[in-house]
Amino acid sequence: MMLLAFNSFLVAMLSVPIVTLISHRWRKGRALPAALLMGSLVVGTAVAAVGFWRGQRFQVDISQVASFSFALSMDRLSAFFLLLICSVSLPVILFSSSYIPRHYSGARRHWLWVLLPLFLMSMVLVVTASTPFAFLFGWELMTLFSAGLIVIDGDSEQRRHNIFIYLLMMHAGAAAVIGAFLLFLPHASNFAQMRAGAALMPASLRTAVFLLAFAGFGTKAGIVPLHLWLPRAHPIAPSPVSALMSGVMLKTAVYGLVRFAFDFLGGGPSWWGYLVLFAGAVSGLLGVLYAIGEHDLKRLLAYHSVENIGIIYLGMGAALVFTANGAPLWAALALTAALLHCLNHAIFKSLLFLGAGAISDAAHTLDLEELGGLQKRMPVTGTVFLIACCSIVGLPLFNGFVSEWLTFRSFLAGSEMTNLSAAIVLPLAAGVLALIGGLAAACFAKVYGVGFLGRPRSGEAGGANEVSLPMQAGMGALATACLVIGIFPGLVLRSLGALTEELLPGAALPPAATSLSSVLPWTALFILLSVGGMAAFKRAKKLTPTWACGLPGLDQRMQYTSTAFSKPLRKVFSRVYRAERTLEVVPGDPPYFPVSISYRSVRTTSFEKFLYRPGVDAIVTAALRLRRLQTGNIQIYLLYIFAALIALLMFMRWV
Amino acid sequence: MTLMTNVLQVLLLILLAPLVRGVISRIKARIQNRRGASVWRPYADVLKLFRKQDLVPASASFVFRLAPMVVFTTTLVVAAFVPLLHGSALLGVAGDFVLLVYLLALGRFFLMLGAMDGGSSFGGMGASREALVSTLAEAPFLLALMSVAIAAHITSIAGMVQWTMGQNFFQFSAVHALALAALVLVAIAETGRIPVDNPTTHLELTMIHEAMVLEYSGPSLALIEWASAIKLTVVMALLIALFVPWGMASSVSALALGVASLVMLLKIAALVLALALVECSVAKLRMYLVPDFLGVASALAILAVVFTALMR
Repeated sequence: MMLLAFNSFLVAMLSVPIVTLISHRWRKGRALPAALLMGSLVVGTAVAAVGFWRGQRFQVDISQVASFSFALSMDRLSAFFLLLICSVSLPVILFSSSYIPRHYSGARRHWLWVLLPLFLMSMVLVVTASTPFAFLFGWELMTLFSAGLIVIDGDSEQRRHNIFIYLLMMHAGAAAVIGAFLLFLPHASNFAQMRAGAALMPASLRTAVFLLAFAGFGTKAGIVPLHLWLPRAHPIAPSPVSALMSGVMLKTAVYGLVRFAFDFLGGGPSWWGYLVLFAGAVSGLLGVLYAIGEHDLKRLLAYHSVENIGIIYLGMGAALVFTANGAPLWAALALTAALLHCLNHAIFKSLLFLGAGAISDAAHTLDLEELGGLQKRMPVTGTVFLIACCSIVGLPLFNGFVSEWLTFRSFLAGSEMTNLSAAIVLPLAAGVLALIGGLAAACFAKVYGVGFLGRPRSGEAGGANEVSLPMQAGMGALATACLVIGIFPGLVLRSLGALTEELLPGAALPPAATSLSSVLPWTALFILLSVGGMAAFKRAKKLTPTWACGLPGLDQRMQYTSTAFSKPLRKVFSRVYRAERTLEVVPGDPPYFPVSISYRSVRTTSFEKFLYRPGVDAIVTAALRLRRLQTGNIQIYLLYIFAALIALLMFMRWV
Repeated sequence: MTLMTNVLQVLLLILLAPLVRGVISRIKARIQNRRGASVWRPYADVLKLFRKQDLVPASASFVFRLAPMVVFTTTLVVAAFVPLLHGSALLGVAGDFVLLVYLLALGRFFLMLGAMDGGSSFGGMGASREALVSTLAEAPFLLALMSVAIAAHITSIAGMVQWTMGQNFFQFSAVHALALAALVLVAIAETGRIPVDNPTTHLELTMIHEAMVLEYSGPSLALIEWASAIKLTVVMALLIALFVPWGMASSVSALALGVASLVMLLKIAALVLALALVECSVAKLRMYLVPDFLGVASALAILAVVFTALMR
């Protein structure tokens, strides 16, 4: 039954591109691809939900039919990530069903409906694959299809450069992942064999596998300093695609690392954990700090993905440290926190990117300095965006809080380790998490406060209207999910506990994990009743102009801007930003009245400057040197061939 | 009976909070050689504001009116986590101190949004400064509470209080001293007192909290003022409960609770006197010195956590 449903899900997904190409001439068939895709995602969600909650397993093996080993299977871990992909994509596609026809026409629209299902399909392949071949097949397609989706929005010089960086880094990452698989040879024909083979490996080889997986999946996840592609590639994609890339695609990298570190290798020495923990702390802090400096909404959100991946890595790192210290219970708690944050981030980040899409649809800009006053003009979009902001900040009653609280709880448990370094490092990591949370709060107070509140800063923002109903419905569904998980976390926690028990031998989710689910519903009820009661009894309001110190002429340009809002934090953390400022003053006739003043502030991150730039320069210099070989003269090439022949013959003679 | 006491505790915190404020300003006035207003003045202010009309800027959205209600309600919930007369609280679960810190953050987040909804530069200015202070205060707040939790091997606030009550005063460890010092600094930043923020300032360019609430009036302002009074009292009660809980009732009887109330009043009075003295003798810090102030708090909190591991 499950197998049948899963197969029909795959077939339905694959049929969407064909249906798109057939039906595009037929006027009534315009809505068909979206409807078919949503239908297949409903089936996929149902299959994944049964697999996740009941723990049913099944396998689709076509290795006999095809001449290579290609099999899909589902255990609880796969089911969880499949659930994440399908359930989050469903509202995104609902949003797209109205967004895409409004913004794209002709061939571009067909290409979107062809590539979107293929992109989703490749992610499904990655999380359900049970052979290295199937996994890598999906992994590579995922990169290519997402790059294709980015190209649909245009291919100017700048965009091509960004896509080039994206593809380059993805292929470098994929090379590391392929390396990690190759090290399992000769036990690498399917995942079950690899699991058994890992036990026989010497410690050095296991470490090599872990490091390759860490680097390879880290590139895809966008951990600092491998994050360079992320703020370039995510913002330039169409908004629903950005939502899928940031919300869903990044999670496949987390899936990969969990699969390798916990499932295949079963944990390792505690320095693996410290490495992941450190990467998480650095990514979290730098991600949110770079985000604070941005005022382009989609770039800002892309940097927040780096931050949230950092939070997920903090949980995973703690889980690895606990495993190494023989505390499977707490490892289960930390891993549960990391996995729940994956789901939560998928939900609220997709919602935020869809919100960005709605803003660009209504106000035709994503520059925060041009927005403002949107809450009154777009009440539904504004409210769901506020819910998403509260969730990503990790405020209580919203889903982000639950996973961050679980991460805190596991760090606190670190104090019980007998190992001194674990007992010091883990509780201190809680301080890093708190700092990340505080910075995120500042950043989203800026985003929502400048973007949605106050007065509109441009005519475009002032003339914005609420977006269409399917777009509202898609965002509303995600916002509801934020609140449901935020108030009733027990709904997912139990099954996640079962999942971590499967992954970590001897683990069980400690009762501490669910203590929050007893107090959150009551707190929510109390806050709801008391705010509702106050709202009901409050006296009538009277509209007045904003206080302007008694002077006339207060206009929207006197409001605080996004740049002004973040200035104190940018000043305190100026060492992180290293802005290069140039001030040019052209003096006028009386020197006190300059003709023009221009000010430029450029931020190139230190990683670009000190890590990537020297490497790129070295490669380019080497290439220029090597170019001297290429003269274009046919006689010289014949000489090369002759020299190569002589060299080979001499080589053969000696060997 | 325990439940009734717990409800009584919350009511006491909520109802006595304006008095604490009144007493502080009265003592400050006396130190500054002024007569000062009556200690009941904050009650009169809140009542007066509740009877007035709510003036809302024409450009503001529903967030402007929602924010004061969220601020007030979250402060009420936070009050329910803090033991006052005996070692238990109305709400309390394992790990609730994280919830306490984040509930305060929830209120503050909405207050910042409400400030920015007014559409003037003062609101944005206040919100931006509040963002700086609260961002840097959150980590030491959480780490300091965490170090006490680790020392007590228990993660609920009420549990930590009971554990400390069972300890001898002279067993007070370095962890406690460091955590107390960190929490005092954080408490000053969190409640917006001198030297971080001046609650009585009327110069827009130096304000933090007052700049945020500049656009508010009537019942909305009353909620904000009352909430910040409750927050001050709750933070004081939290400091007392975590570090000097001795004197709290160990059994729930009328006599024990009566004695506990008296002792608690004395302790709060001592803290109020100390706060007034500090506020009269210290100048407000320059804006960009506040990060250093909170940096000291963070360093103390980090040391407290490191010491918990070293002193096992």
